[in-house]
Amino acid sequence: MKSDYEYHIEIENLCTWFGEKQILKNITCYFEDSSVTAIMGPSGCGKSTLLRSINRLNDLVDSFRMTGKIMLQGENIYAPDADVYELRRRVGMVFQRPNPFPMSIRDNITYGPRLHGLHDSDELERIVEHTLRRAALWDEVKDNLDQPALNLSGGQQQRLCIARALSIDPPILLMDEPVSALDPISAAKIEDLIMQLKKDYTIILVTHNVQQAFRVSDQAAFLYLGELVEFDKTKRIAEAPEDPRTEAFITGRIG
Amino acid sequence: MTDSRLNEKQQQSDGSHEPKTRAYGSVANVKRIIQNIKRMSRSKKIDISGKILLFLPTVMSISIIVLIFTFLWIEAFPIFVAPEGGIGIITNPIWNPNDGQYGILVFIAGSFLCTILAISIAVPLGVGGAVFLSEYCPNSLRRPIRMIVEMMAAIPSIVYGLWAYLVLVPTIETIFNVQNGLSVLAGGLILAIMLLPTVVAVSDDALQSVPRTYREASLALGATKTETAIRVVLSAAIPGIGAAIILSLGRAVGETMAVLMVTGNTLQIPYTLFDPTYVMTSIITNQLGYAFIYPLWRSALFAVALVLLLMSIMFTSIAKILIKWGIKSRGLA
Repeated sequence: MKSDYEYHIEIENLCTWFGEKQILKNITCYFEDSSVTAIMGPSGCGKSTLLRSINRLNDLVDSFRMTGKIMLQGENIYAPDADVYELRRRVGMVFQRPNPFPMSIRDNITYGPRLHGLHDSDELERIVEHTLRRAALWDEVKDNLDQPALNLSGGQQQRLCIARALSIDPPILLMDEPVSALDPISAAKIEDLIMQLKKDYTIILVTHNVQQAFRVSDQAAFLYLGELVEFDKTKRIAEAPEDPRTEAFITGRIG
Repeated sequence: MTDSRLNEKQQQSDGSHEPKTRAYGSVANVKRIIQNIKRMSRSKKIDISGKILLFLPTVMSISIIVLIFTFLWIEAFPIFVAPEGGIGIITNPIWNPNDGQYGILVFIAGSFLCTILAISIAVPLGVGGAVFLSEYCPNSLRRPIRMIVEMMAAIPSIVYGLWAYLVLVPTIETIFNVQNGLSVLAGGLILAIMLLPTVVAVSDDALQSVPRTYREASLALGATKTETAIRVVLSAAIPGIGAAIILSLGRAVGETMAVLMVTGNTLQIPYTLFDPTYVMTSIITNQLGYAFIYPLWRSALFAVALVLLLMSIMFTSIAKILIKWGIKSRGLA
């Protein structure tokens, strides 16, 4: 179905704990290349934990434990010899609240490439323009690249964060409720952007907004109390949810 | 209810007698203000009295600064107008009151060098320590270290001075193979040691208050913990670290006892770190007791104090301007 260098992600029997509390229970699923997968579910169901398992950001929490496997391009990212920094270069992330660094707009974009050893200023300029264009922010900020990023509006900041994530050209993009802290107009802009980006990126989008999940995603996962209740093509889930809990969630009775 | 009605009546009668009250001028104005206050609701009255009560401490703290300046100026004035003195004492390196020589350059140079030395040791070390505490240290270790650091800040400066005199000075003599360890270096080092706890504690607080999401964003881009700490967290903590620097600058310039005990108190401009020197605070402490012999002597000591105050304000202001620029360029304010 797909070529050799596809960037799909396979999750096998993933269980995670924070301390004694089990968050994810035996999750097995498969994220396809060049598509948007929405992870839906009520608050506290483990959506963010699942997302953060994919770039190993959960490792920052001392009490985090996990079992199972996450395979990226055929390699287990939790293998003892896996390089977590290399992994995070291939998996970009956009957070719930816009979190641009307290630096200039330009420095926000060049931060990642510089970290990874790129110092050629022409090339950096090219990346700044390219990623800002991709994030549909270029026209708004091209004259103010040296202004502090924190002076931008919330929606602009979030698009800057998307541009920042794209700056190191990761094939996979994780988005943790990227529009929930934004006004409806900014949110719509970012949804459009997600549709644009999915041609070139494998996007995993966490959301508690069912309508949004249905609008932008190709596949959808429904997570409830740490269990993967349903995982299929979005269209199928939207039309005919199999599990009563999924139906209850998408009709708004739980969540 | 009846009260307010009464007030209304009064207001009406006031209105009708308008031309008459004009004639009384300010007395009528005062009356009107008092009536206005009477007419106010309870909460408004509380608000007004609160404003007045809180305004007083503000005025007091400002007037204390003004008073200190005035007092120093009045006391120092004779030396600035005397033929032996004048503004030239600032650039005159010879201090010999018996001979009518009141040059204070030695003390300015001594204080300046000790402060700069202390700050340039304490700030990098302290901020580095704070980065370790905040970013690397496990919580179980961090808490006891913080406790010790805060205890260090509470040690009286005379104790630091004694320790420096007995340990630091001989150590400098052995390590650098010099005859006399009482020097700028000893003064700068003991000052740096005294400043360290403040710099560590305040910087650590500043680093801790940097939102976790900045760290996550950096790590998610493939940065290591160290790259994140230095390039993102430290940069975002600039306002707080700046506060640490300002606090320690003030303390370094004004510190007296410890420096007095280890700098050698010699009337010469130090050209190397191992030369002894005399700082501004020391000369005041040492000589004020018998400076009454010549009125100008006493006045010159107050001139030293005035310069000390100005120097402290100058240091703090420069630091503040730099920090403000740092905050603005980061968009943190």
